[in-house]
Amino acid sequence: MIDKAMEFNAKAIKIGTITMIAGVIANFIPVTYLYVAYGIIPPIADILKVWTVAAITFGVSWIIQPITFFSLMGVSGTYIGWLAGSCADIRCPAVAMAQKAAGVEPGTPEGDVISTIGLAGSIFMSVSVITFFILVGMNFIEMLPPFIKISFKYILPAVFGAVYVQLAGKHLSVGAMTIIAGFAIAVIFKTMALPAWIMNILIIFSGMLIARIKFVRDAKEKA
Amino acid sequence: MDLNSIANSPGLWIASSVMVIVVLLQSVIYLREALRQAKVLDISRKRCIAGMRSAMITALGPSLSPIIVAFALIAIVGAPTAWMRMNDIGAARTEIAMITLATQVIGMTPQSPDFSIMGYSYALWGMALNNMGWMIVTLLLAPNMTKYVAKLNVKYDPAWIKYLLSGATVGLFAFLLSNALIQVKNNVLVLDPGTWCAAITAAISMLIISKVFSKHQRLQEVALGISMLVGMFAATAMFG
Repeated sequence: MIDKAMEFNAKAIKIGTITMIAGVIANFIPVTYLYVAYGIIPPIADILKVWTVAAITFGVSWIIQPITFFSLMGVSGTYIGWLAGSCADIRCPAVAMAQKAAGVEPGTPEGDVISTIGLAGSIFMSVSVITFFILVGMNFIEMLPPFIKISFKYILPAVFGAVYVQLAGKHLSVGAMTIIAGFAIAVIFKTMALPAWIMNILIIFSGMLIARIKFVRDAKEKA
Repeated sequence: MDLNSIANSPGLWIASSVMVIVVLLQSVIYLREALRQAKVLDISRKRCIAGMRSAMITALGPSLSPIIVAFALIAIVGAPTAWMRMNDIGAARTEIAMITLATQVIGMTPQSPDFSIMGYSYALWGMALNNMGWMIVTLLLAPNMTKYVAKLNVKYDPAWIKYLLSGATVGLFAFLLSNALIQVKNNVLVLDPGTWCAAITAAISMLIISKVFSKHQRLQEVALGISMLVGMFAATAMFG
């Protein structure tokens, strides 16, 4: 029985590796199409700059998130979750409920099989829902009254303001201090016309630094 | 060719569909393998179906919650890209953040009148390069993941890792927010009242939903979408 479970595990890694490589290729098809069909591509130097900005901003998440979610997601879940996303809010609850409904224990060979079945089910559901609403939304946007179309220009500040409060709500003092630091750095950089990407890095690092200070302080208080 | 017709062209739909097909295919292959293994382990077909059904019902609610923000993504980069990126790795807010970061490299802002097809290509590259990060890390680490989990837990305090990740995310959105709100023209600070109004009313709306209505779980799931609309409409009503 143990051998069978190992075999399933090895197969899950093989399927995951092949499909993930396909995913990496699929990921670049739109930008390739844009280049082939219309000849539009940023200069290589700028692509590297975009990559650097992405790595500095999300690099920690790229590495840490798949590792920290592994114990919840399992092997097949890791490949499915980091290709299709929504690990915390869709995949994990779906796995938990699938195992509960089928009456299997997590971490057992039976649990792994049911978790894989549940993950596949959650993908079929989320892809159908998103596809349906994108098709509806696309046609819907054309028919919107002018007032709403004008309001589109405020999408970004509205999203950023709301997301900030959502994030800062969990660590109020970190959130308050980071936004103050952010405003101060932004005023200095913009009035002196300093490069925006350095400003980007600086504000993100100030967020990490403030989190570190808060963490050390909390640890001391507990001790 | 203008941006809108390229961003919503049939060619781009086809190019974007490849990722969605890969996502679906991966699950179909895994499902087939799992059902075969279920037979080996003597798990009845009935229990497999019960598990699958339960997972699908569970996935329905959280799949609906990013829909309003997905509409915003359609307005910013067109329907095909929104469709592809909502179906792959990266939450809607991560994609919007990355679009803003990438287009900033050539000094453009999505939704502004000067946003061109070139700016759009920066946005697409940004999302592709960012999403590749998670995929490559998974490809490299997943086969020996148990080893890395143990290493990470020995080397670093898990509580600190959590703080570090939230510090980085708070820092990112502090940057995006201050970058949107603090505008300078000819070395002089120019604060656009509409932009400030949108950010502040959306923030207040989020605060109210998360504090006053904290018991309503369904409402929390769509809190970002509702707050975004409140901010957008308030700003448009007051400042046009």
